[in-house]
Amino acid sequence: MKILIADDSRVMRQIVTRTLRQAGYEGHDLVEACDGQEAFDKAVAEKPDLVLSDWNMPHMTGVEVLRMLRANGDQVPFGFVTSEGTPEMRQAAEDAGALFLVTKPFTADTFKDALDPILG
Amino acid sequence: MTTNPTEDDLKVIAEQVWSSYLDLDGSSPLVPVPAEKHQADVTASVSVTGAWRGHVLVSCSDAASKNVAAALLGIEFDDVAEEDVADALGELANIIGGNVKSLLPEPSALSLPHVHVEGTQGRYPHVTEVCHLDGTWMDESVTVTVLESTTDLAGASA
Repeated sequence: MKILIADDSRVMRQIVTRTLRQAGYEGHDLVEACDGQEAFDKAVAEKPDLVLSDWNMPHMTGVEVLRMLRANGDQVPFGFVTSEGTPEMRQAAEDAGALFLVTKPFTADTFKDALDPILG
Repeated sequence: MTTNPTEDDLKVIAEQVWSSYLDLDGSSPLVPVPAEKHQADVTASVSVTGAWRGHVLVSCSDAASKNVAAALLGIEFDDVAEEDVADALGELANIIGGNVKSLLPEPSALSLPHVHVEGTQGRYPHVTEVCHLDGTWMDESVTVTVLESTTDLAGASA
């Protein structure tokens, strides 16, 4: 499977990559995006099987990326990996069509709980 | 009813961050220390605007900032570049700030992180300190500070 990791922090993209490996999801094709616009562009161009996206990014927030994808008819499975997890944000994520919202800091077990239904 | 975060809240958040990313085997936790040990060569901050307005700062020594970058990136201390420090400290402030924001009144928004190096902390006018956590990690200083804006909405500069 191809997984798009969108986060403006290279450090966090690396942590997400490492945590995917620690959670047992190895051998997947990983693509990275460093802001919201690039996340949208790569979600369209690369046609990933899953998008793992930060919420707060330059140019376009993660939820704006998701809304734009859905508005364009793109139903790619989409989950958030973000430092904020307020009830309002979880509701906004769900309303936009996100499958899950994982809050930072996360562990390999947190990833398994969120991703096993998709990647397991 | 939401109340302001406390030092104990910061300890819980820091413990979660350290055990997830910076102290995976539990051998080098962030240890709270008296405030006089404070050293701030590098400061990363995020701002909260909305129903609550203020800033969350993570300050640390130069060596601690490189230790953070090395741990988060999984590289050696000597291989850490300046941009790694800015990225790592900014992300640390983002994670801690996001968790602090979850304790504050909604609706509010979290800014992207700003990182200041070489001892400059940035300017935070018209604020009062809500709480702080001074600690040492691997014998180096790390401090988390929460500042609340004291200006009214009409005077806020966001």
